[in-house]
Amino acid sequence: MRPPFSLGEGSAPDMTKECAGKGEVTEWAGSGLTPNRQNGERIHMTTVRFLHTADWQLGMTRHFFSEGVQERYSQARFDAIRKLGQLAKDEDCSFVLVCGDTFESNQVDRRTVARACEALKEIPVPVFILPANHDPLNAASVFQSSTFTEQKPDHVKVIEDTAPLEISSGVELVGAPWRSKKPAKNPLHELLETLPVSGPMVRVVAGHGVADAFTPDKDAPAVLSVDELDHAIHEGKANFIALGDRHSATRLGAGDRIWYSGTPVSTDFREDNSGRALVVEVEAGNVNVQEHVVGDWRFTEFDHVDVNGADDLNNLTRTIDAIANKERTVVRLRLFGGLTLGLRVQLDTILQSAADLFAGFDVRDDDVVVMPDDADFSDLGFSGFAEKTVSRLRQQIEADRSDADQARDALMLLMRLSGGAA
Amino acid sequence: MKYKRLRIANYRGVDATEIEFETRGVTLVQGPNEVGKTSLGEAIRILFEHPDNASNRHVKAIRPVHQDAGPEIELEAESGPYCFTYYKRFHKKPATKLTITAPSPENHTGRDAHDRAQEILNETLDIDLWKALTIQQGDAIAQPDLANQQSLSAALDKAAGSVPTEQAEEDVFESVTEEYSRFYSVKTGKEGKTLKEATDDADRAESAVSEIEQKIEILEQDIATAARLQSELPSLTKRETQLREDLVEHAGVLREIESLEGRVSEATLKLESAAKTVELAVRDQKERTDTIAEVENDERKLKELAESSADVVASFENAEKQVADAEATSTAAEQRRKEADTLADLRRADVDHYKDNLFLEQLGERKERVDAARKAAAHAEAFLEDSKVDDEAVAEIDSAERNLLAAEAKLETAAPNVKLLGLGACELEIDDQPVRIEKDESRQVTIADQLRIRIPGQLQVEIAAGASTDDLTQQVENAKQKLGQLCRLAGVDDAQSARNAFDQRREALRNIEEKERIESENLRDLTYEQLAEKLLRLEETVPAYISSRVEQPEMAADLEVAKSVGDTAEEHRQNAHSDWESAHDAVIAARKVRDELGKSNESVRIELSSLEKSLEQHRTRLENDRASISDDQLNSKALEAETGHGKAKIDVGTAKAALTDKNPEKIKALAETAQSSLETAKARREAAQTELTEVRTRLRIHGEEGLHEKLHTAKTHLELVASTNRSLFRRASAAKLLYQIMNEERDLARRAYVAPLKERIERLGRLVFDESFQVEIGDDLKILSRSSGGVAVPFDSLSGGTKEQLSLVFRLACSMIVAEQGGMPLIMDDALGYTDPERLRLMGAVLAKAAKECQIVILTCVPERYGNVGTARVVSLQ
Repeated sequence: MRPPFSLGEGSAPDMTKECAGKGEVTEWAGSGLTPNRQNGERIHMTTVRFLHTADWQLGMTRHFFSEGVQERYSQARFDAIRKLGQLAKDEDCSFVLVCGDTFESNQVDRRTVARACEALKEIPVPVFILPANHDPLNAASVFQSSTFTEQKPDHVKVIEDTAPLEISSGVELVGAPWRSKKPAKNPLHELLETLPVSGPMVRVVAGHGVADAFTPDKDAPAVLSVDELDHAIHEGKANFIALGDRHSATRLGAGDRIWYSGTPVSTDFREDNSGRALVVEVEAGNVNVQEHVVGDWRFTEFDHVDVNGADDLNNLTRTIDAIANKERTVVRLRLFGGLTLGLRVQLDTILQSAADLFAGFDVRDDDVVVMPDDADFSDLGFSGFAEKTVSRLRQQIEADRSDADQARDALMLLMRLSGGAA
Repeated sequence: MKYKRLRIANYRGVDATEIEFETRGVTLVQGPNEVGKTSLGEAIRILFEHPDNASNRHVKAIRPVHQDAGPEIELEAESGPYCFTYYKRFHKKPATKLTITAPSPENHTGRDAHDRAQEILNETLDIDLWKALTIQQGDAIAQPDLANQQSLSAALDKAAGSVPTEQAEEDVFESVTEEYSRFYSVKTGKEGKTLKEATDDADRAESAVSEIEQKIEILEQDIATAARLQSELPSLTKRETQLREDLVEHAGVLREIESLEGRVSEATLKLESAAKTVELAVRDQKERTDTIAEVENDERKLKELAESSADVVASFENAEKQVADAEATSTAAEQRRKEADTLADLRRADVDHYKDNLFLEQLGERKERVDAARKAAAHAEAFLEDSKVDDEAVAEIDSAERNLLAAEAKLETAAPNVKLLGLGACELEIDDQPVRIEKDESRQVTIADQLRIRIPGQLQVEIAAGASTDDLTQQVENAKQKLGQLCRLAGVDDAQSARNAFDQRREALRNIEEKERIESENLRDLTYEQLAEKLLRLEETVPAYISSRVEQPEMAADLEVAKSVGDTAEEHRQNAHSDWESAHDAVIAARKVRDELGKSNESVRIELSSLEKSLEQHRTRLENDRASISDDQLNSKALEAETGHGKAKIDVGTAKAALTDKNPEKIKALAETAQSSLETAKARREAAQTELTEVRTRLRIHGEEGLHEKLHTAKTHLELVASTNRSLFRRASAAKLLYQIMNEERDLARRAYVAPLKERIERLGRLVFDESFQVEIGDDLKILSRSSGGVAVPFDSLSGGTKEQLSLVFRLACSMIVAEQGGMPLIMDDALGYTDPERLRLMGAVLAKAAKECQIVILTCVPERYGNVGTARVVSLQ
């Protein structure tokens, strides 16, 4: 057993708690015994309360942002670190555990690393960082970079091996760091195979990787087996398994002891419960997990919106209007339907206005067909060669040849240039 | 519009003039220069364009020249539904008055009148076209600018049966063209700067991404390399340590081997020294044996040579004797040969002498013959020199003689003859010539003229022939004179002498010819001088031989005998020669044999001397050697050396066996392998360490470059560029399609619209040009080219006259088209100045035809030009 983890000099926060939250020692009731210790022996069980987070993905960039949004978004991720510090403080957490993918990559800009270190300073409790597939502990590890090693606050500890870290008396943290992006086996499984039962200790195990429940490629090398994790819990090898990788806060397995914390700031449309962190209170017999909202960025997808007439356009306008916090919301719209030229031009106007408001506005309108009708052109008052031009373009559209789209565009351009609906 | 009446007063140089126009047809306004024709056209324009108080240069220009009065213009006209009279006075007491009579009467004055007139004009007329159709003096050659003339366009559209083009559409087309030109070159259709830059942006963005990706890939490779090296390094170090230990172990054994190898090498050196001693002893022994053998050998050879040399000497002496004998025989034979030669030469000289003698005689005879011939020829030539009786002379003399005889015969026949018969011999004279007539001799004498026969002292008979024989007598006399003359010329007395002389001449000629033949025969191949020279020489040599010849033996009696004796002497000589040659050959053969034997004898002698010398040397050396060391001492020394060598050999074997027991080869090989393996292992470890250091350094440097974010940024930029470009190219593609279609449709409309104008121009033009006349009208409504007979000529390349005619036809066609819509008068100011008389006539027809549909006003100072315009109202200005 290693000596207790030292926080170094300076303002070392007291990370040991005699009991969860309020510093009390919880005495185990019978039902609180760990499953493999049902020998009737009364044990004084230690309780630990910590902040479980992961997937900060610092340095992440998103391609669908409007101009200037990327910087705000990046800043939001640094701000989230500070919020987590505040949350840890508010919730009396002993430490913060970051279960992997702290950085988007080992090759992030040194300014990103520096800003991360700066934000980490504002977390008042010890921070344990687990290297994972995005930032593995290889020869180019960001955690060994000069910027990180020089600027990292003392209370931040990178979990570099599987040696148990004694958090406090009776509480230990064991992490399974990744040493490469593509290990032959998930390091957590390797750890659990050799890890002895925790005994009277409260043991928190930190790991990273996609669980077989969430991937179709269940036989891939680094996939986590939920059953095996459950089994480890059952054997008493861990009291809580804190995971990273999945960006939505998710409970795994049979009990309440295996969790993905999710990312503190949402990163994509597919995340149904992101922007969270977990306050976990563990004792041998009990676990209490609370989700806390951290981030206020949203990725909202409308994957089927019909636009077949003026009413639909009105509905769309109302839907868009109803979305709050637009400057931190990224919207994806998938539009379907058929419109006249005039309505199509209206739709474009709606979409253009919306694009100006949202952090990102990703429209997929390949399935919106423009069918010009007579009314589109009647106001233009063409009678000569311009009218014949319109007629030829319309024929081209109706013939539905490969150049129909080009003809539609040409018609819309003509409308615009002649001061029509456009 | 139609002009009905125009009046101007106080206008430039014109005091007052008024013209009434033909409203439908031609009005021909004629008059000399400066009468004010041009002012008429100008006045109408000024009337409409400028207010009465205007003071611009146009208006100033129309002030009267010689009086202080305001220029006045009054026009009565129809335009659209309006009939009006419009009056203006400028400068002095300016005034404007407009009186409208239809459709409803109106009266306006001042500015109001001007504005109302403008309104009517704008309402009913295309002012630009109206201006364009007026031909000012001097601009008849140029085409009017008719592009964008709305009334013409409207008329053309109507004529083409198409919908008139709204200005709005042209505006849209302009916008479309502008949009298109944002992306493409309107001229070439090639992509413009915007699209090119977009493509370049995309290329740059892509290469930026791939550059960062490459860097990341290198980084990943370095990470993998670092991991590999880290795992390899411990095993490399372990291997190195193992090899070091092996090497220490091998070093101990190698030291032992080294000591044993020292022993072997020492024993080997001793063995080599013993072997050298043996070698020297054996060599000394052999040298002694060789010297003894050489002495013995020399003695034996000397003996053998002494025996064989006796035979050689005997043979040589015999050969010398043979030579002497042969030489004696040869000398005798040579003496005999010389004697035979002398005799044979003498006999041959004798024969030659006889032959020369004979030749001398022959040559003398031949010379005599030649000399005789030469002499005769000389005589003949001398004769010929004097003789004048040649072929011609003798022929003439013969002819003259025959004439004389003939004349005499005639005289004899015609003249009286006197026959004299000698009764006895008698002497008489006939014509004073003594004549003797023998007895019974009869002589007839013809009396040519008169004859006198006289018997001297007795009788003289004179007989006259009378007149009838005079001629004949004269002829005879003439013939005689002729003959006599010829004979004198030929140097002879009479004809007979002439013939004799001629015969002598022929003889002389023959003698000259004969001389050639004789010379040729007798001189043969010699010249006369050579012959003479030879003869002279022989005459000297032949007698000299006799005097110089030896007495004995005696000379033969004659040539034949000399020849026979000579032959015998020659035979003897041949034999003597043959004998001498045989003897000479025998001498040479004997000498050869003697010389060869002489050589053998000499070499034997030299060999003997050499052998004697060699024997002497060998004997001396042997004696000296033996004095130094005896044969026995040499033998015992060799034996000792052999024993020492055997012992040294045994010592080497013992040392080598000890070394072999240690298996030095194996040990050395193992040690060497261990050493090189160690070096390899060390090098590998060091290389791995160096590489790891390098990789770590690289990773430290590049790992913090922020490649990840850079890549994301680059990719985002690429996506943005791609998306922008997609949209841009889509817009460009739309603009292109729209522009292309609209341009095509516009061109089609233009072509349709131009068609009636073209048709009208061609219809009028065919009156002037031929039936194949065609024009090509451009988009700007200008004639681009004229074709005739299928050959198109650009307008600018046409002659001045043709340009003028075409421009006028063009204006007329426009007027006719517009006429259907209310009309537009055409004012021509002295046009057709470039046109030739024939074309003028044809242009008259064109004008006449056009005048049926529109109003034409022609202003001219040359009314004859327009003599063929058909019906026209003629107004003369004075």
